[in-house]
Amino acid sequence: MPGEVADIALMTDSLGLCDRSSKAASVPVAPVVERAKAGDPAAFEELIDCYQRKVLSTAWRMLGNREDAYDAAQEVFLRVHKYLSGFHSDQDFAAWLYRIIVNVCRDHIRKRGNRHDFASFESELEAGSIQALASGEDVEANAIRSQQRAMIADALDTLSTKERAALVLRDLEGLSTEEVARVLGSSQATVRSQISSARTKIRQYRDRLLNRTRRG
Amino acid sequence: MKCRRVEKLIPLYIGGDLTSGTADRVTSHLEWCGRCNWLADEFKESHDWLKSGEEPVFDETALNAFKAGVLRRIPETSAKPSLMSSLMQHWSRRQIFALAAAALIIFGIVALYVYQSRARNSVPVPKRAESNPNEEPGRPDVQRPDVGKDKAQVAGLPKQRHPSQRRVYANARNRRPALAKRTAVHTGVQASAARASVPSLNSTAHFGGSPAMLRIEIQTSDPNIRIIWFAPKETDSHQAKPATD
Repeated sequence: MPGEVADIALMTDSLGLCDRSSKAASVPVAPVVERAKAGDPAAFEELIDCYQRKVLSTAWRMLGNREDAYDAAQEVFLRVHKYLSGFHSDQDFAAWLYRIIVNVCRDHIRKRGNRHDFASFESELEAGSIQALASGEDVEANAIRSQQRAMIADALDTLSTKERAALVLRDLEGLSTEEVARVLGSSQATVRSQISSARTKIRQYRDRLLNRTRRG
Repeated sequence: MKCRRVEKLIPLYIGGDLTSGTADRVTSHLEWCGRCNWLADEFKESHDWLKSGEEPVFDETALNAFKAGVLRRIPETSAKPSLMSSLMQHWSRRQIFALAAAALIIFGIVALYVYQSRARNSVPVPKRAESNPNEEPGRPDVQRPDVGKDKAQVAGLPKQRHPSQRRVYANARNRRPALAKRTAVHTGVQASAARASVPSLNSTAHFGGSPAMLRIEIQTSDPNIRIIWFAPKETDSHQAKPATD
């Protein structure tokens, strides 16, 4: 019986979404999910502790800026709370959570329309998010990291919503093609096609960036 | 493997998304093809550059504020569960769609039944023969609202039905016994109406101040054409002069 519980615990976080550095990491995920499902507020707080970093960073990568990422991540946890009763224990909780993240981010992008709020280095400096969020030692290193992040966000901005979701999950979140297909509800062939197209666009963006730098 | 094919596979090759057999063939092609090898290096650098972006770091204060924000908003959303979410608690989405489809089909069947029964009821009912005791002689009947009514019945003549009406009645009788019964009831009504209108003939018979005149109206198949006869009561009706309008 304890072995079964451990299996379920492994199964419900097979994608490694849970933040192992948090205090909730030592607790198996499945019982926490079950308690949260039963309406235990403390268990739901544990879930937030466990997953908030990953949800925030994924949403940031999907949406490209901090403000939208915070809004989307909040919406993700609200949806988790709302639909947790419909979650079955035999499902993969991390995959389920990723699906919610992707759906919320898609909704955000749809609502946002053509308004591009992807973070640039300057805008991050103005917002003060570089100092506030970076954990580095000196400001210069942090600034370089933030600039790199902003350029990657710009590169991701060249992709369509579907390509972006597939690439973020595959290359940045490290999911396998099969897992990405499961999360996105597509076939593996579709995901491969999206990833291939996305990688080509990223390469083209980087080429343009390098050419501009050389000329400048 | 040709270069054109390899170029398409390189984006997947550098991320390890190809099957082992295909990946081996691409590797062997890259060993001798300089151009494809250069392209693969480009993709590899771009892939590494994308992955080099560190994960955003969030400090504890920001995370605590985030968590507090979520917990604050939960009562707002849980206070008003949507119909869909309450249904989802008991049924899966697929079951709900199946239920909705079944409901739609049932609604369609009911709507079709109601439409058909209405169409059956809308079989034209022949107009009742009515007498007009205050009818003015010589006035064009076309202007009167009762034009087209069965004046032949009023006159005590056999009722002349429009050919289309006759056909409808025939069809209706063949269709269902209940309908035939209903039609028979209508016919009875007409007959009683015709009987009721008989006294009014006497009033129309006082044409031109002469009580000996009898007015006979015959409605033709064209509702705008009616043949009106004025004939002396005692004389032969064939000798009377017909008046048409």
